[in-house]
Amino acid sequence: MPDFSKSYRVLRRLKDLDVRSLAAYRSVGGYQALESAVRKQTPERVIEQVLDAKLRGRGGAGRLTGEKWRITRRAEDNQKYVICNAYDADSRSYAVRSLLAQNPHQVIEGIVLAAYAVGASEAYLFTRSLFSEGIAAVQAALREAIDAHLVGRDILGSNFSCTINVLAVDIGFMGGEETVQIAVIKGRRGMPEQRPPFPAQYGLWDKPTAINSVETLANVPVILREGAATFARVGTALSGGTKIVTVYDVPPASGPKVVEVPFGTPLRDILAHAGVDPRKDEVRAVVVGGAEGGALPISLLNTAYDFDPIEEAGAIVGSSIIELLPYNTCMVAWAMERSRYLTNESCGKCIPCRLGVKRITGILEGVVSDLGGNGDLDVLDEFGSYVSNGSLCGFGVYATTPLKSARRYWPDHFTMHIRELQCPTGTCVPVRSHRFVTKHVLP
Amino acid sequence: MAISIRDNFSLATPEAQGPMARNDVGHPSFTITIDGKVMQAYEGQTILSVAIDNGMHDIPNLCNDEKLEPTSACRMCLVHIEGAERPLPSCNTAAAPGMVVKTNSDELFHIRRTNLEMMLSDHNAYCQPPCQVDCPTHIDIPGYLELIAKGSMKEAARLVKEVLPFPFILGLTCPAPCQKACRRTLVEEEIAICRMHGHAAESCLLDPPVPYEKDPTTGKRVAIIGGGPAGLTCAYYLALKGHYCKVFEMQPQAGGMLRYGIPEYRLQKDMMDRELEHVWQLGVDLQCNVKLGRDFTIDDLLAQGFDAVYISIGCWTSNDLRVPGEDAEGVVNAIAYLGDKVEGKPILVKEGKEVVVIGGGFTAFDCTRTSLRLGAKVHTMYRRGRGEMGATQEEVEDGEAEGTHLQLYVSQTRIVAENGKVKGVEFQRNKLGEPDASGRRRPVPIPGSEFVLECDTVIPAIGQAVDTKVLDEKSGVRWTKWKTVQTNPHNFMTDRQGVFSGGDCQMGAKTIIECVAQGKLGARSIHAYLAGEDMKEVARRLELEERKPDLFDIVPYKPVEPKVKMPMLPYEERKRNFRLIEMGYLREQAAREAGRCLQCACPAAGQCDLQRYSIEHGLADNRFHDGEASDYHDYDMDLSHSFILRDPNKCINCTQCVRVCHDVIGPDCYGMFGKGFDTIVSTPFNVSLHDTDCVSCGACAQVCPTGSLMMAERYLTRYSFALDRCIFCGDCVEVCPHGALGETPNFELSFFNRFGEDVTLEKDDLANAPNYLVRQRLPRDKKSLPVMSPLVRPLPARGIRE
Repeated sequence: MPDFSKSYRVLRRLKDLDVRSLAAYRSVGGYQALESAVRKQTPERVIEQVLDAKLRGRGGAGRLTGEKWRITRRAEDNQKYVICNAYDADSRSYAVRSLLAQNPHQVIEGIVLAAYAVGASEAYLFTRSLFSEGIAAVQAALREAIDAHLVGRDILGSNFSCTINVLAVDIGFMGGEETVQIAVIKGRRGMPEQRPPFPAQYGLWDKPTAINSVETLANVPVILREGAATFARVGTALSGGTKIVTVYDVPPASGPKVVEVPFGTPLRDILAHAGVDPRKDEVRAVVVGGAEGGALPISLLNTAYDFDPIEEAGAIVGSSIIELLPYNTCMVAWAMERSRYLTNESCGKCIPCRLGVKRITGILEGVVSDLGGNGDLDVLDEFGSYVSNGSLCGFGVYATTPLKSARRYWPDHFTMHIRELQCPTGTCVPVRSHRFVTKHVLP
Repeated sequence: MAISIRDNFSLATPEAQGPMARNDVGHPSFTITIDGKVMQAYEGQTILSVAIDNGMHDIPNLCNDEKLEPTSACRMCLVHIEGAERPLPSCNTAAAPGMVVKTNSDELFHIRRTNLEMMLSDHNAYCQPPCQVDCPTHIDIPGYLELIAKGSMKEAARLVKEVLPFPFILGLTCPAPCQKACRRTLVEEEIAICRMHGHAAESCLLDPPVPYEKDPTTGKRVAIIGGGPAGLTCAYYLALKGHYCKVFEMQPQAGGMLRYGIPEYRLQKDMMDRELEHVWQLGVDLQCNVKLGRDFTIDDLLAQGFDAVYISIGCWTSNDLRVPGEDAEGVVNAIAYLGDKVEGKPILVKEGKEVVVIGGGFTAFDCTRTSLRLGAKVHTMYRRGRGEMGATQEEVEDGEAEGTHLQLYVSQTRIVAENGKVKGVEFQRNKLGEPDASGRRRPVPIPGSEFVLECDTVIPAIGQAVDTKVLDEKSGVRWTKWKTVQTNPHNFMTDRQGVFSGGDCQMGAKTIIECVAQGKLGARSIHAYLAGEDMKEVARRLELEERKPDLFDIVPYKPVEPKVKMPMLPYEERKRNFRLIEMGYLREQAAREAGRCLQCACPAAGQCDLQRYSIEHGLADNRFHDGEASDYHDYDMDLSHSFILRDPNKCINCTQCVRVCHDVIGPDCYGMFGKGFDTIVSTPFNVSLHDTDCVSCGACAQVCPTGSLMMAERYLTRYSFALDRCIFCGDCVEVCPHGALGETPNFELSFFNRFGEDVTLEKDDLANAPNYLVRQRLPRDKKSLPVMSPLVRPLPARGIRE
């Protein structure tokens, strides 16, 4: 098991110093990175260090942050923007609200560094209005930082300026999508845009925009302060650094536990660090990734927590929630619940997501209600790939992950519902009285 | 360090590119390959627009318009791009030098087809009513059902009479092919379409509506031989067109098979006469008891000054049994039997007799049920099975319930006669063999299975034929090899100029409704002939009109509402009398039943992109029928606007209207509302379009790919404008999305006329004209857009993104 005490870089623990005030943050080395960057380093040098640190996007897609910044930097435009994605699509994730509430200055330092690196003079902190404590903390910190000339015009006496606007909205799950945030900032309905073109080339107000997760940005001051090599020492060869994870035990003892772990830590160790003990006879599955995450059987607890191994196993890093399902969970019913939730959270823009997920839900409801037929599983598999291949944004692409993982690891739950008309755990109750029927009208 | 490109949501570092070649106006250009063809593209163009510019129009798309910023919502224009993991929408992906694009593959076809299936699974609307298509006369069925549901019976009857002059008669006697096509069966049970127009017509039999105003008299004269359904229909519509018609009838009264072939219990003759009276009211003359070939010939008629002749003599001879003993006393011609019963002549069948009816069509069952009502014991014998019978299933069931003894798979081999009188019929049992030309399996006799059925009377009803003796060679009318009158299949003119034919004698014995349909088409053809039109052109036109349109399956969502059953005379009350067995609907029942109609009609049918793509993708079925109410949407229509009709049930959320209203026109009337599955394009707070800033430009209806937004019919002919205030700026010409004020010499502000009558300039000339200031256009290149505060509306229309 790795030494978790060394892995806390952005999250503060109870025994740590309260760094919410500027003075306290400065006392632990805060804003040194910004000072040295603005005074001594070129933006290119900052990007180089972020690249060397193998900092990958914490929002879920896992792209190299330095690459994104380099493209934004190189784009020929006199106006560029930085957006800090502090939204947390899945409201059960505690990463963002903990970070904003405990360490607001590090977030602000990260945003200003990003703006310096890409050449932006305006930044937005896009957060969720229900994180009231975090918003208050970050706004107080912002006032202090502006007074100390760390944000605003002519930062630290240089000719680099950057303002930060805090925008807090609550528009459901889709608010975590980067192009949705761009649309909302512009005053449009929160719906995603097709990529390519990417925001780094064509973002807010059609200008090059670096849009990074708050956790990614909070790591940037650490990289510049301690050096890229020190930063990359923790983590895997492909993903440097740590990740904030929210862990939920099986109900009823299911209060969220927020931990920060190095990339590559096996799931089992993360659970142990969070004080959760997955016993074989009590736990059906471990769900990795939040609402769009996949369920993995207990036998896969040794999977390393990193982008590629998790995806190969059939789950996603996503909202970085790790959740245990009790042993009496019927995985068909679980997939149905997830699908039902996602049906209501879709923005309604593209056909595969708006209607495909709805129809998957309808078929799963039929199976749960013991109205399933032999062809249903084929249709489910067909739609599982149709929705993810056809959808416009990441929401649709991953909307069928729960279904696909349940089909992959618990095929017996589906066949039992369909062939024996019986729930494998005896927990399902019928939810609909009509199943879908294929009708052919024309000769 | 190598990190794989994980998905298309992350971007790859662009490779450095050399300077591009420029075309003659300096626009950077390069080439891309689409489906193996090398095409020239310009910087900033999307793949879709490159394909369209190069004459490739087969990438489907439902949400794209060249005026609008792409949204990629419909996912129809997905293409494979070499190097990209997932298919990407061509409407939104910029072409890049050397790009290799594939627009078709099994995977893309499957995604596109599933997209269409998904859209149609929540498309609570219909293209064309299949009932109307399947009805031989093509009555506007949704139209009259709506009128009946509103209680406007006379108007409903008038609407039916536009194509069918006898709604009451057909309401009782039609086998109703429309009902077999009814889409309501997808919800629960079909609608009693046929009985409905019977009910509507019955309510105004004595005060009949005229379908449309009668034309002034033309002075042309048409002779109609045979006063049956086809002949009377033809006379009815020709009379409405202003031609004089005279019907020559061989029987003592008009009506043909309606009167002499259909028993009283299905159609009361006194009621029928009331409806036939509508024909005579139009000035049609009738001469009875005259027979073609016996009393007059075609030449006689033409010599008498008739300009055209319509032969509708029907099928009045019964086919022979072709077995020994057929001429024995007691073998009765089916047609003659039914006719004699109507005429009140003495007939052989009476109480206590035993009757054998041979055949399985409508005539066989008419004979069966007539004999039963006369008190005889009846055996109905048919050589094939139930499924192959010509009569409808209800007819067969009714016959059995009324007491006939039905035997299937039996063929007659001889008639057993004693002293020239029928004593019985010998039958042989059959088994089914190979299918014959008609697709029905041929009955094969089983040797040794013969049996004799004793009886007093035999009524063979195994089909009817035309009496070919009435026309000789001299008439110039020829016969087909099936012994029917030979005509052009579309304009119904025989080989002799001016002589037309229709009905049973032209088709072979068919249903009444098919004869009426032929009479209607015959009237149109004769009218065109009398007007001196080219008959080839008439044939082409009629063929096009009768062509069956393409339809496809849409999931209907309506709450279940049970069918209102037709009250029937109980079986025990049907004995020994000829009372009408269908007792008819009450007014409220009829309104309720008509109200079940799904109104399967869309004014956009034929112009709808969704329909076109669905047909192209072979979408004939849908997997999402019969779900629960929460699986579908049933929106209210907004018909309150004077010019634009809004039906959200047909909306596919392509947002073209949203974008065109916001980005091009400006009032911003539409938006997307709701979340998830319930997302829908609507007006703010779903108010009437009338209460928004709508300027009635109609651009939204123009871009709508379905029938969700339609232009209302307009009767305006001329607009006035305040001449004293007009400064002849020409802005109206430029913004009109329809080009209604466009570059026409007839409009004062058009480019042609703006500088006086003698100035006609091309656009380029206008730009250089010294006294003409070209309006400043927004620069195409967005980098040189004027700096604009972000929150100032309206937002600039975005061009194709780079």
